[in-house]
Amino acid sequence: MPPVDFRTPLAGLNLRNPLVTCSGTYGFGEEYQDYCPPEALGAITVKGITPEPRLGNPLPRITETPGGMLNAVGLENPGLGEFLRSYLPRLRKLPTAVIVNISGFAVEDYVQMARALQSDCGLAAIEVNISCPNVKHGGMHFGTDPQSAQEVIAAVKRETDLPVIAKLSPNVTDIVAMARAVEAGGADAVSLINTLLGMSIDIEKRRPFLANIFGGLSGPAIRPVAVRMVWQVAQAVQIPVIGMGGITVWQDAVEFMLAGASAVSIGTGNFVNPRAPLAILAGIEQYCRKNGLASSRDLVGLAQR
Amino acid sequence: MLIDQEIVLNEILGSADLGIRKLVLKGPIAQQAKPGQFVHLQVGSTLDPLLRRPISIAAIDPECQEITLLYKIKGKGTELLSKAGPGQKLNLLGPLGKGFTLPAQGELWLVAGGIGVFPLYALAAAAKKQGLTVRLFWGGENSSLLECSGLAMWEELGLPLYLSTLDGSCGKKGLVTEFLQEFLQAYRQSDPSPAAAGEPVQVAACGPPGMMQAVTADCLQAGVPVEVSLEEHMACGLGACLGCVATLQDRQGRVRRAKVCQDGPVFRGEEVVWNASC
Ligand SMILES: Cc1cc2nc3c(=O)[nH]c(=O)nc-3n(C[C@H](O)[C@H](O)[C@H](O)COP(=O)(O)OP(=O)(O)OC[C@H]3O[C@@H](n4cnc5c(N)ncnc54)[C@H](O)[C@@H]3O)c2cc1C
Ligand SMILES: Cc1cc2nc3c(=O)[nH]c(=O)nc-3n(C[C@H](O)[C@H](O)[C@H](O)COP(=O)(O)O)c2cc1C
Ligand code: FES
Repeated sequence: MPPVDFRTPLAGLNLRNPLVTCSGTYGFGEEYQDYCPPEALGAITVKGITPEPRLGNPLPRITETPGGMLNAVGLENPGLGEFLRSYLPRLRKLPTAVIVNISGFAVEDYVQMARALQSDCGLAAIEVNISCPNVKHGGMHFGTDPQSAQEVIAAVKRETDLPVIAKLSPNVTDIVAMARAVEAGGADAVSLINTLLGMSIDIEKRRPFLANIFGGLSGPAIRPVAVRMVWQVAQAVQIPVIGMGGITVWQDAVEFMLAGASAVSIGTGNFVNPRAPLAILAGIEQYCRKNGLASSRDLVGLAQR
Repeated sequence: MLIDQEIVLNEILGSADLGIRKLVLKGPIAQQAKPGQFVHLQVGSTLDPLLRRPISIAAIDPECQEITLLYKIKGKGTELLSKAGPGQKLNLLGPLGKGFTLPAQGELWLVAGGIGVFPLYALAAAAKKQGLTVRLFWGGENSSLLECSGLAMWEELGLPLYLSTLDGSCGKKGLVTEFLQEFLQAYRQSDPSPAAAGEPVQVAACGPPGMMQAVTADCLQAGVPVEVSLEEHMACGLGACLGCVATLQDRQGRVRRAKVCQDGPVFRGEEVVWNASC
């Protein structure tokens, strides 16, 4: 049998395979080199960048919950300038597609970063995080109000020649309205889902576990929510969907693709098994073979038909 | 490396009610491990608990390809770990992090608070092998805690031990820092200075943050370099998630974050901002 065709066209990119890593869980492409190197993946997404450097939130920032974890890193990052100087030269040499995730507090923040990030930087795409729940006055209102979401995506589109991926927050009543809004704003693809806002309390200390009180829930616990949203959004928009939220094994990835995700992104799953994306890819291949599918593209949206 | 290693032994250390255990694992991590490094262990095979657990490497035996971990049962993860038996395999990520610096000459003083003594054992063994004079200053709640945290192993190592307990049931009554202060004072007052005489002292500390902060202050005052081993909640263990950072400052007081899992867990004491408010 010929090998399964993994090529994944997405937002004008031609990814080697449908496996991506989630922003904030795969560092800047170096950390997993020995376990799951960037070149084995369709694309990597780097940690969210803001115009200025940020120290992020106080500690503790993470705590485990049943089948998941809460994080409140608070967008710790080197800032746009340092990113361009110290990180980009190495990232652009990576033999894989590099997606830069950007976060802001005002439209001007996103505009400033989009202006600096162009295709001649050697990057593949910009992922616009309009949904980070972990910073006070974070991008959250862009993530919950369709009008603002459309505006910020349109503003980013005007400034850059790179494909623009809108990363959606699940902390909304109507995910479809959000997806339609970013599509209208010109987004080339959507990523979903970001983390669900949550909290947990240390009953011995009688205090919230996280210094930030609230954190973003990720991991297997959120997967059914993510699958449902991917399903709804894939039906509602023409642009491709990158599905994420609690994928740890290949069965999860197949589920997202059947729901309509053109690519799948691994986040918290990397922490559990640093080789997870490789194992998932191998599993998808087996699944395609067993079911007589020539390409992983054939899986996309199958459950919708 | 990411590898399944076989459990040689997973047994109670001392009396069962303290829940401290010794875990010996066989495999190639022993060839790479350095004192102060840790492993990130998968404790279960289902999705709950989900994350790995960081545990220091307490002893390293490259010849037998064995590492020893000492751990205290704290919650769900370590409880599950305590159920794993010899012959069973555990998935390990490691060795991770930067360990302690082994001085080239002179004396190495180890300062431990409670079960903070665990990572210092491998350092003591390595320093002793190198011919350094090693002293252990170790404080705990009571004699039972010290006994269950490997006192017998330390006695076998044959180093000078300066023990203290809060209730006086073992060693001096009081805090480990009081013992250390006496030694630091004597060090400062000796003439010619030991450092000039080629006998400098270096300190390595592990324990509760308040204790490490006090040890750092005392050492700096005496002009003795000090390293501390920090703990923070971890997800990836590889420097990717930024969940585990410590706050450091340079001489100019500029504050930055460093990853405990990758840049640490061992840091120079004077760099650490204790109780950082940001
Ligand atoms: C670098 C490093 C080395 C360590 N070495 C040792 C050692 O040698 N022996 C030992 O007994 N313990 C050690 N610890 C602490 C050990 O990791 C925790 O006790 C353990 O993770 C608790 O897990 P649990 O499921 O039993 O507890 P739970 O409280 O149920 O754990 C819940 C979550 O919090 C995390 N957590 C809880 N307490 C700690 C803590 N003190 N530090 C970091 N994460 C924590 C857990 O990993 C888990 O994600 C070390 C920690 C670090 C960071
Ligand atoms: C520690 C951590 C940091 C994250 N940082 C970012 C970030 O900077 N930008 C972003 O858009 N999403 C961030 N996320 C969200 C993930 O990219 C992903 O959308 C989410 O975790 C769901 O996927 P998962 O369940 O597979 O982890 C972060 C998640 C985690 C766990
Ligand atoms: S545990 Fe992820 S950066 Fe340290």
